[in-house]
Amino acid sequence: MTGGTTAARERAAQPQAPRPQQARRWSTGRGELWVAGGVLALAGALASGTATMEVPDGVAAPGPQFFPWLVVGLLAVVGVALGAQVLLQARRAHADGGAPATMSNDLLEDLGAIDGTSELRIVSPADAAPAPGEDPEDDGARLDVRTIALTVAALAGFALALTWLGWILSAAALFWALARLFGSGRPLLDVGVAVIVASVIQLAFGAGLGLPLPAGILEGVVPWTS
Amino acid sequence: MDQLTHLLEGFSVALTPSNLLFLVIGAVLGTAVGVLPGLGSAMAVALLLPVTFSLDPTGAFIMFASIYFGGLFGDSTAGILLNTPGNSSAIATTFEGHRMAKDGRAAKALGTSAIGAFLGGTIACVLVVFFSPAIVRLATVMGPAEYFALTVFAFVAIAAVVADSIVRGLVSLGLGFAVGMVGIDAMSGAERFTGGTPVLFDGISIIVVTVGLLAIGEVLHVAGRIRTAGGNGPFLSPKGSPLLNRREWRQALPAFLRGTAFGVPFGAIPVGGSEVPTFLAYGTEKRLARRRGDADFGTRGAIQGVAAPEAAGNATAGSAMGALLALGLPTSATAAMMIAAFQQYGMQPGPLLFERSGDLVWPLLASLFLGLGILLIINLPFAALWARLLVIPRHYLYAGIAVVAMLGVYAISSRVLDLWMALAIGVVGVIMRHFSLPIAPVLIAAILGPMAETQLRRALAVSEGDPTALVASPFTIVLYLLLAATVAVSVVQHLRHARAERATKARVPA
Repeated sequence: MTGGTTAARERAAQPQAPRPQQARRWSTGRGELWVAGGVLALAGALASGTATMEVPDGVAAPGPQFFPWLVVGLLAVVGVALGAQVLLQARRAHADGGAPATMSNDLLEDLGAIDGTSELRIVSPADAAPAPGEDPEDDGARLDVRTIALTVAALAGFALALTWLGWILSAAALFWALARLFGSGRPLLDVGVAVIVASVIQLAFGAGLGLPLPAGILEGVVPWTS
Repeated sequence: MDQLTHLLEGFSVALTPSNLLFLVIGAVLGTAVGVLPGLGSAMAVALLLPVTFSLDPTGAFIMFASIYFGGLFGDSTAGILLNTPGNSSAIATTFEGHRMAKDGRAAKALGTSAIGAFLGGTIACVLVVFFSPAIVRLATVMGPAEYFALTVFAFVAIAAVVADSIVRGLVSLGLGFAVGMVGIDAMSGAERFTGGTPVLFDGISIIVVTVGLLAIGEVLHVAGRIRTAGGNGPFLSPKGSPLLNRREWRQALPAFLRGTAFGVPFGAIPVGGSEVPTFLAYGTEKRLARRRGDADFGTRGAIQGVAAPEAAGNATAGSAMGALLALGLPTSATAAMMIAAFQQYGMQPGPLLFERSGDLVWPLLASLFLGLGILLIINLPFAALWARLLVIPRHYLYAGIAVVAMLGVYAISSRVLDLWMALAIGVVGVIMRHFSLPIAPVLIAAILGPMAETQLRRALAVSEGDPTALVASPFTIVLYLLLAATVAVSVVQHLRHARAERATKARVPA
């Protein structure tokens, strides 16, 4: 490692939340009102679904509508509370949940007697610090929406193509497209890797464990696909 | 000592070649997903669920359990060598572990963490075996009201602990309930939120939900930042012996035991897995080091700071297995996936499981011990080899995750519709991550929600609608009091931190 990268890492190592990787903080901003709105919309949809539910005759006292009403109530209350929270403290930054089971940072800091100097400096994700002078409100824009949209499109394309093209071709295409989207610079090598990955899965799960993977247009061409 | 004979019989089943094979596969897979950042044992189990339909349940569960433990073995490797913990359960280990590595004691840190994981897990499993009859006896006196109280406790505890604000935790919980309600109501036969389409009569498969939220959500989340993110830091290669000498054992052993003591009780209560006890163990070691005047802690790296959190992490997995088998209560995302696995095989974990499926439970418990031994063997000398997994280019890693996720979803019932649902849920997952809404409560609520509803309706049906029946027994009263205390602590803490944050902001204009 050169001196330059070390210095960059040192700079990046400013006190922040003890998260594995991706510990960038998002300023949730007013965009989160959409989330609150979505929660309320879900509550509304569930409420109408519950109200119009066809309940079979002679069902015992707390029927099938009882629990849904509780959930509708919960969603309505937390939706309003979330909206109020966003409006009252719009600039409050939240640690971005990189790990699936995110925990409250505050709680962990208390439990671990973490004082924000020694520990937090040592666990420093590579991309922690926003560049100086960057507007913290601007965080949302840094999410690369284009790549996300293209990834979704690739996955959707896979779902469309699977039964027609068969597993090997469509899975290889998905693998290749995602590797490319995620910054691979060697598309030809990727073709080879993609075909190998798709074929190994076909062999292991299709031929080995007997999972019915569609053969598609390769039906009959390669004997071990079916 | 009835359980010892059962356990010995269990060993004889677990030691058959096919079960040993599953054990080793699980240990290798678990360690691998533990080492790789962004993958976890919950996702691994969810992806394997549809594939294991055709397997014998005993073998499948042996594999799942060793994936669970393997994940906790592997997660500290990347943390120690690269300063990027493979999972949130290894953050506490990373603090002192990476310091030791920078000090040239990487092998020692890896050895300490493997031994700690082994000791913590083994002690917890011994306790589970000894106390399982008592837990089962306790569980048999529990009625619907008690079970409902237990599930409410699980919901509120996870919502309060997992998120930065309780509101966010509750939002996630509500989403999970909504997902869990879709389908035909088992008690009355009424159609709920299916929109009249028969494909939704069976509800939304929990595998679709998990793979969508965890795997596809993670892939999309990474897609949103992979072009701007930097690479890994310098890779410290471990040299020397991973084994501890006598003096180091004297330092580490008490820390191993203290860590285990934190881990065991926390594994049995639903507070979102191993983060809380690992941080508690780390904090305790830090305070003790300060009192001792230990200059290594926080500078060169102290062996206790690795030993205690690592033992705590695996101890939670041991008692989580106990809580899962004896009470049917999932205390972590991986345990929740195992409940889904039991349901797939038509079994309901809980006190009756020991009676009805003793031929599954005891081999499973025996295999936990075997699995821990195998994991120690494949981790203690070869930790540096596992770390080589981190060399896989990230674009291949995430492309591979996406392909395997699609495979897992399609394998559920060979329906393309499931792929679309998983994709939609993945988009929801990435939005949730963006707004720091926690994922774990969604899974817990989607799995435990229907169970809670059934118990609540049964309790109310028995009492003829009288809600006081829910708090009539001492057990329920104690649980609700504990719950109130948890919420109070959490609220106080959030308020205190909000105030501290405001104070910092006022001092340093950001």
